[in-house]
Amino acid sequence: MKGVAVRFLGLFLALALGLALAAGTPAGTAIQNQASASYIDSAGQPKTTTSNLVTTLVQQVYSFTITPDGTETNPGQIRNGLPGGQVLFQYTVTNTGNGTDTINLSTLQGTADNFDLSNIKIYLDGNCNGNVDAGEPQISSVTLAADASACVIVAATIPATAQSGQYGNLNLAGTSQGNNQVTDNNNWARAVATTQAALTAFKAATPSGNVQPGGIITYTISGSNTGGSPAYGIPVTVDNTPKTGILIEDTIPYGLTVISMPTGSAGAGSIRYIYYDGTAWMTLTTNLLPITGDGIKKIGMLIEGTGAFFTQGTQYTFSFQAQVPSNAPAGISYANSATVKFDANGDGDANDPGETINTNTTTNTVAATYQPLVGYPGNVTLGNETQEVASAYAGQVVSFTNVVRNGGNAPDSFTLSLQNSTFPTGTTCSIYAADGITPISGPIGPLAPGAEQNVVVKCQLPATYYENPADGQTTTYKVELKATSVNDPSKSDITTNKLVDILPGYAVDLAAQGYSGDNIPGNDNPAGQNANPGQTVFFPLELTNTGANPDTYNLSGTVPAGWTVVFYPDTNCDGQPDGAPITNVGPVNPTQKVCFVAAVTVPQGAAPEPKSVTFTATSTNNSSVYDTVSTTVTVNLVAQISLDPDRQGTVTSPGTIQYTHTLRNDSNAQAICNISGTGGAYGWTYQYSTNGTDWYGALGNVYVNPNGGTVTIYVRVIVPAGEPIGRTDVNTVTATCQVDTGTATDTATETTTVVGGELRLEKQVDKTTAYPGETLTYTITATNIGTGDLKQVIITDPLPAYTDFVSVSATIQGFPAGATVLYSTNGTTWSTTAPTTLPAGGSIYVAVDTNGDNTITSADIMPPAATITITFKVQVQ
Amino acid sequence: MNGKTWLLKAFFGLGLLILAMALAQALSLDLRPYLVKVVEGKEVLEENPLGVKPGDILEWRLAAENRSQGPLRQVALVIPIPKETYYLEGSAKPLVLGSATIRPEFSFDGGKTFGFPPLKKRIRVVENGKEVEKEVEVKPEEYTHARWVVPEVPKGAKVQVSLRTVVK
Repeated sequence: MKGVAVRFLGLFLALALGLALAAGTPAGTAIQNQASASYIDSAGQPKTTTSNLVTTLVQQVYSFTITPDGTETNPGQIRNGLPGGQVLFQYTVTNTGNGTDTINLSTLQGTADNFDLSNIKIYLDGNCNGNVDAGEPQISSVTLAADASACVIVAATIPATAQSGQYGNLNLAGTSQGNNQVTDNNNWARAVATTQAALTAFKAATPSGNVQPGGIITYTISGSNTGGSPAYGIPVTVDNTPKTGILIEDTIPYGLTVISMPTGSAGAGSIRYIYYDGTAWMTLTTNLLPITGDGIKKIGMLIEGTGAFFTQGTQYTFSFQAQVPSNAPAGISYANSATVKFDANGDGDANDPGETINTNTTTNTVAATYQPLVGYPGNVTLGNETQEVASAYAGQVVSFTNVVRNGGNAPDSFTLSLQNSTFPTGTTCSIYAADGITPISGPIGPLAPGAEQNVVVKCQLPATYYENPADGQTTTYKVELKATSVNDPSKSDITTNKLVDILPGYAVDLAAQGYSGDNIPGNDNPAGQNANPGQTVFFPLELTNTGANPDTYNLSGTVPAGWTVVFYPDTNCDGQPDGAPITNVGPVNPTQKVCFVAAVTVPQGAAPEPKSVTFTATSTNNSSVYDTVSTTVTVNLVAQISLDPDRQGTVTSPGTIQYTHTLRNDSNAQAICNISGTGGAYGWTYQYSTNGTDWYGALGNVYVNPNGGTVTIYVRVIVPAGEPIGRTDVNTVTATCQVDTGTATDTATETTTVVGGELRLEKQVDKTTAYPGETLTYTITATNIGTGDLKQVIITDPLPAYTDFVSVSATIQGFPAGATVLYSTNGTTWSTTAPTTLPAGGSIYVAVDTNGDNTITSADIMPPAATITITFKVQVQ
Repeated sequence: MNGKTWLLKAFFGLGLLILAMALAQALSLDLRPYLVKVVEGKEVLEENPLGVKPGDILEWRLAAENRSQGPLRQVALVIPIPKETYYLEGSAKPLVLGSATIRPEFSFDGGKTFGFPPLKKRIRVVENGKEVEKEVEVKPEEYTHARWVVPEVPKGAKVQVSLRTVVK
């Protein structure tokens, strides 16, 4: 018999009966690749570079299967039916390619059989129960996404003329529409005509298709006697006892667990639920439950009855429930079919054709479930677990190691976030990879089911917040880490990271060098020092960072007004300044010590008394953290007075001459002075005055202000008559001063020479000591102290030894109009211009020309009270 | 001047900048894929295949050339293994440069760490109801990157490395 029945209905279907992920990279996927390199260039710089981007498209591969397979001589399924009755063949079509494809289906009549089947129809078995249900459409092709499968039923009618025992073969052939070279043509089935008993057997799984981990699949096997005669039972040994009945048996799918007693019914006979443990059948009782499938164990129903008890049209049903493991990975499939065994011809076995019937195969696939779990090492559960860190220091980073686990059954990635922080304001918390360094941006993963990844939550605590004292659980700080599934954002988990106490993180101990960080506050203050006015004293100091954090400190000091304090580094801690002034000691690690020196400068004139000074180091991270030491600087008494200058003069006898001296107090305290003189050698009268009016033999309690205060001391010399010309008397004046607790003295002299004439010469110099290169200015004053004119007055002054001539000039007073100052270096040749040079050993001559002859003769006069004032400048060699 | 023109100018400027940077690279990298076919028992390589199918073998060749004026040191050449493919064990050959042989290193963590096979990783498994950590060998199929670290590439020198992957 031959014949081909091909039907194209063009029904487009996109059924996904269990989407297993495996078959291959989906068609259309772009494989992209870009190589990279890192290197160190010839300049020693690390560099990176990337290659061109390569893109290759994945093309579609067409592949599918139709099961069960069978050859015409050895068909994959055999169905018995009455002549003129319908048989159903059940197939599963699976797209094993990497893209959506349409598989065209057709049937082919056998050639090595007794008859052709007629009225052949292909149905889509939407619920995969093996039977054609109302509404299930007739098809000629199935369109399936990659990895999807569909249940298909081929219905055919046995010719009414067929004799019992004759059979017809039918093949379901499939051809890929995408590539018609891809076919599956070995799916032969056989319909056997029989007037004997013929049982149908269909299997349904509820739910069909996807099942959740932990879910329950209800399997129902049902059928009826559609044959022409009643069915007999077969011998089955149960509980070691021979029984007879129709046996419905189902190998429990591997990994599934039967947890409850089956249910069932039969239109004839009595029902016994049985269990095959791999060796023998036994009556199933609840205490044998649960039973987990291992590929061998079976559950069944025996419809017990004797003789041809299962009459035509009698129905049966057997139902049991099996649970999917709660940890079943996504994509795992559970395929199951049942077998019904009966005796059609009463020969006492189920070995004749059509007496053992396999149902269609149901397939359930474990659906993907997504559930992030987040916790901490040793405690990763769904729910909010809390891990505690006992304490951390202000300004430090507190780290929490958290564990993220994929609690679902499929690979998943997780978005991490932090929420509900009760950390102090100013805290910043971030999530890092397990190394604690690499920041996490974007979701982590994908993680395989059950896989874990550590992450680190680090919170930078603010410097200024801490508990003092730490209050334990009274005030705590929390932040929640939340992990959310990327594939199912409705699934998340949280864990809490808790910090119990925040301890002060910053502290500093400032002390004299050698005494910081020893926990002894009593030795911190440096010893006091003495200083002269204008002097700088150095206090070697050091500080120790006694806090928990690296810190740096600003230095400051308090000193009396007018004083200054400057800090210098002291890197080698020898108490001596090293380098330029600083206001900050730079970074200091915990327990580290830094030396520096405080330089306190006492201003000139500071009064002799102790003054307190303080030095403070203040944390730059927390200005409320500082340490201060105090000490004293005692200003030394400076007792220094001067009585200057020495004076020379000429006087007639009798005559009077008056000198002045300046009494200067360079002490830093007031001087109270007594002034007295030696009185000279000749009994001349020496008198003293502070105002030039009131004269005394000596002065007492002359108050001179400190720091350069001056008082003019007047000395009057009264020379009696009869003193010889040329007599010179020297009076030494002494100022004896009480300065605070000290005394200071100085002396000055007046050297007075008796002159015959009436010309008095006084010579002064502007400084008492001079260094090489300095200029000395001599002022020579000549006065006619007589009552008549003096003639031919020439004033000579030699250039002092070890000096160079600088200049000379003269002014005159009291001379007749027209008088002119003339200069000479030899006393004979005169000039109106002053000389510009003067050799060593030379002298300068100054005179006044009053008769206009440009030379000095006896005709040139000096009237009474006239003066010549000469300014003579020399430079010290 | 409206905003659009601005944007256009900015974009153009950026493009020029990127071009300039590319030209300035001292090390040029050229990556090419080849589809490995067997025709009459002989291997034939098709350069830059337009399309590949699951199961196809792709050979990735990376050519590097030192275009700078001096030698480059510590040159790490990295070929990633595209996630749609897996590494074909043994296909990354050592690079022989003069007397030096540079063996390829592999990464299974996205190129963060590299090592010589066999690579090990730690996983947590449930054994006898207890969760334990075990060290297991990383299969070559799990490799994500391969690299060759060349101590020095002289001025003007070219090196080539390659590996093969199978389309999943």
